[in-house]
Amino acid sequence: MLELLAQTALNATYAASYIALVAVGLVLIFGVMGVINFAHGELFMLGAYAVVALYADLQLNFMMAVMVGLAFVGCVGLLMERALFRPLRDNPLGGLVASIGFLLILQALVVMGFGVRMEHIPPVTQEVIAFSDRVRFPLSRLYVVVAAVVLLTALWLFLKRTRFGWALRASAQDPEAAALQGISINQTARIAMFIGAGLAGVAGALTAPLVSVNPLMGHSVIVTAFIVIIVGGIGSLEGAVVAAVAYAFVHTIVTTFYDGVIADIVGLSLMLLVLIVKPHGLFGTAERA
Amino acid sequence: MSAPLISVDELTMRFGGLTAVDHLSFDVSEGTIHGLIGPNGAGKTTTFNMISGFYRPTGGRITFAGEPISGLPMHEVARRGLVRTFQHSTLFNELSVIDNVLVGTHMLFPPRLVAAILGRDGASRRAARERAEEALSFFGLHHLADELAGELPHGHQRALGMAIATAARPRAVLLDEPFTGMNGEETRRMMELMRKLKASGVTILIVEHDMQAIMGLCDSITVMSFGRLLAEGTPAEIRRNPKVIEAYLGGTPHAA
Amino acid sequence: MPRASAWTLGWLALAVALVLLPQALSFSQQEILVFLTINVLLVSSYRLLTLTGEWSLGHAVIMGVGAYASALVTKWTGLFVPLSMLVGALTAAAVAWVLSFPLFRMKGFYFLIGSFAAGEIIRLLWKRFQDPFGGAKGLKRIEPMPNLDLGFHHFDFFLPTNYYYFALVAVGICLWLMWRVERSPMGLAFHAVHWQDKLAQASGINVRGYRMLAFVLASGFAGLSGALLAHYIGTINPGSFGVEQMVFILTWAIVGGTSTFYGPILGVVVLTILNEIVLRGMGFEQARPLIYGFILILSVLFLPKGLESLVQGAMARWRVAAPRPAPVEREKQA
Repeated sequence: MLELLAQTALNATYAASYIALVAVGLVLIFGVMGVINFAHGELFMLGAYAVVALYADLQLNFMMAVMVGLAFVGCVGLLMERALFRPLRDNPLGGLVASIGFLLILQALVVMGFGVRMEHIPPVTQEVIAFSDRVRFPLSRLYVVVAAVVLLTALWLFLKRTRFGWALRASAQDPEAAALQGISINQTARIAMFIGAGLAGVAGALTAPLVSVNPLMGHSVIVTAFIVIIVGGIGSLEGAVVAAVAYAFVHTIVTTFYDGVIADIVGLSLMLLVLIVKPHGLFGTAERA
Repeated sequence: MSAPLISVDELTMRFGGLTAVDHLSFDVSEGTIHGLIGPNGAGKTTTFNMISGFYRPTGGRITFAGEPISGLPMHEVARRGLVRTFQHSTLFNELSVIDNVLVGTHMLFPPRLVAAILGRDGASRRAARERAEEALSFFGLHHLADELAGELPHGHQRALGMAIATAARPRAVLLDEPFTGMNGEETRRMMELMRKLKASGVTILIVEHDMQAIMGLCDSITVMSFGRLLAEGTPAEIRRNPKVIEAYLGGTPHAA
Repeated sequence: MPRASAWTLGWLALAVALVLLPQALSFSQQEILVFLTINVLLVSSYRLLTLTGEWSLGHAVIMGVGAYASALVTKWTGLFVPLSMLVGALTAAAVAWVLSFPLFRMKGFYFLIGSFAAGEIIRLLWKRFQDPFGGAKGLKRIEPMPNLDLGFHHFDFFLPTNYYYFALVAVGICLWLMWRVERSPMGLAFHAVHWQDKLAQASGINVRGYRMLAFVLASGFAGLSGALLAHYIGTINPGSFGVEQMVFILTWAIVGGTSTFYGPILGVVVLTILNEIVLRGMGFEQARPLIYGFILILSVLFLPKGLESLVQGAMARWRVAAPRPAPVEREKQA
C-alpha cells in the first residue's frame, strides 16, 4: 500500500509539472490580455508535433527539438496576439471565439501535415530510477519535472526581478494605469503571449515521447487547464501552480483506484464546486471582464 | 404622526475592515419627499444600496410598510412597492422608450408563458401598454414613445428613468442623485416632476450630494457623515445646524 | 390591408418553395437538407439562450441529452417515436434546469467555462457507462421513425425527403413557439435582463429566474433537435456532441448574428450551402474544420454583427427609397 502511494505520488508529480506549465501560460495570457485562450491545448499539441518532426522524423537531438518547439510555439503565440487578440482587445468574448476558430485551423493544419494517426516517438531514454521493485520513476519523466521547475522558477524571477516582469504584472493588474505610466500594452501583450504559448509548447514537446500524440490531443489538455485555472483563481499564477499540483494528485489517485474517466469527472465536478462556492477561485481576488 | 413607511434601524455595513455605515437609524414618513444627504464618502450611497436590496446589510434592520425587507434581493424589494432608480442614465438604451416603460410594468402584469404563446394574454398586454403610456404622459414623454431610449437628451433620459420606476405604481421610489449633471432648467423641471409625483401619493427618498439642490424640495432631511447620523430635521433646521455646516464647509471630503 | 396580404403571400410562397425544394436536389443533397432543417432549430434555440446575455458552451451536449434520452426511451419502452422525441426534449430541459442552479451563480467567462465543464461531465458519463449509454461507441440501431400512410401519400421516413417534411413541420412549430415567446412581454423581459440586468431587477424582474427560464426553454428545443437527428441517422456517440459540434453552433450564430430572429438561421443556411455546394463540389470536404475556423475568425474580426447587419443595412436603404405609410404596431395581436 505504501509503495502504491509512493508510486502514485511520483506519477502525480510528473503530471503536475506539465499541467502547471500549461496552466501558468494560460493565466499569464488571461492576466495581461483579459482573454481566455481556448486554443491553448492546441499550442501544447504543436509543441508535441515539433518533437515529432524534428526528433522522430529528422532525428535531431531531443533537447534541440524541445527548444525549437518552445520558440516555434512562442512565435505562433505572437501571431495570435497580432492577428486575433490585438484587434479584439475590447471584445473579450470575441477573442475567445476567435481562439476557438484558431484551434480548428491548427488542428486541420496538423492533420494535413501529419495525418490523423497516432504518432510513434522513440523513447529519449529507457533508464528508470528504481526506488524499490515496485516504485519506479522513468528518467524521461524526471526530465519533465526538472524542466518545469527550472522554467517556472525562471519565469518567477523574470516577473519579480526584471523591468519587463514589473511591466507585465502592472498591466495585468490595471492596464490603463500601466499605459499611463508609459508601459506599452502591445509590448507586454507580445511578451505575455510568447511566454504563455512557449510554455504550452515546451510542455507538449517534453511530454511528446510519453503520451499519445495525435491532432486531437489538445482537448483533454485544455479541459485540465480550465479546471486548474478556475480552482486556482483565474488571475493568479501562484494559484495555478498550487491548483495544478492539487489536481494532479487528485486525478492520479482516482485514476489509480478507479479509472481515468472517473478521475476526469471528479476533476470537473471539483471545478464546478469551486465555481459555485467561490466563483473567483480559491486563490483569486480580482475580477476581469 | 402615522407609522413611517420606510424605517431604518441600527443599519450597519462593513467592507472588510472599513465601516461604511455605522448603526444608522432614520424614518421616512408616507407621502413626503425625504432627503438623505452628506459629504462624499458619508455612506449615503451604501445606505441607498442596502435599502434597495442591492447590498445585504452587515447588521441592523430595514422595514417597509411594517414588513422587514433587509437582505431581500432587489426584485423582491421592488415587488413590495419600493422601487429604485440609478445614478446617471441607466436605461435599456437599445429598446424604444415605450418598451423601457413596459419593462417597468412587469410587476403589475407578470408575463405568463403559455398564455403569451397562445395569444390569450391580450387584455394583460393592452392594460400594460395603457399603464406605460400613462406613465410616459405623466413625465411628459408620450411624444417620444417610439424613439430609442439611448438617443434621448439627458434630461429626458432622467425622466424616463423615473417613468420606468413608477410604471408599476410603487408606494415609494428611491432616487439616486437625480440632479447630477443637470443644468438649471433641467433641474427645475425635474423638481416639478417630483412634486407632481408626491402629489400623486408616492413617497420619495432622494440621495443627494449637493445639499442646496434639494433644500427647497424636501419635507425632511437626514444628514450623514462618516457613516453615522449627523442631523435630522426640516430643511430650515438643517440649514441652521452648526454640525452640518461644519461637515460641509470645514471637513475635507473624506474618500472612503 | 394590402400589406397584410403581401405578408400572407410571402409566407405561402416560402412554404411552397420549402415543400418543392427536395425535388430540385440530389439524394445526398436531400440528406443535407434534413441536417440543415435540424440545425436551424438547434441554432435558433441557441439564440433563445443568448437572449438573456449569457453564452453557453454546453449547448451541443444538451442537444445530445435529447438524442440519448429519446433513443433510449424508444429502446426500452417502444414508445411511438415522435412522442419519445418529446420525452427527449423534456429530458434535455430537465437536465438544463438542474444544471442551471450551479451555473447561474456565475456570469460571463465563468458561466462559459462552467457550462463547458458541465457539458464535459455529461459527455464523460456517456463515455464511461457502457450500460445504458453504450460507452465511447455510443448507441447504434436507434429506432427509426415508423412509416406513415396518410392516404394521399405513403411516408417512408427512411427516405430523406419524407423525413425532411416531418422535420420541417416539427421545426416550423418550434420556431413559431420561439417567435411567440420573444414577441411577448416575456421576451421583453429577456431583452431587459440582457441589456441592463440591474435596472431589470429594480423593475421587479427576477433576473436569475429569467436566465434559467431562457436556458431551460432553449435546452428543450435543442434536445428536440438532438432527438430529430438521432432517429434519422440511427447512431450517436459522445463524439457527435463534442467541441466540434459546439464550434459549428457558435459559428452559425456568430456569422449570422444574434440580434434578430433570422440572423442565426441565415448563418446556418449560408454556411451549409457554402460547405456542401462549394466545398464538397470542389472536393475540399476534408478542409471543413479549417474553413470554419477561418470563417469564425474573419467574421469576428470583420463582421462582428453578422450577416443580419448586411440585411438590415439593405432593408434600411430600401425603406428610405420606398417609405412606409405608417409604422406597424409591434404588439399587434395575432
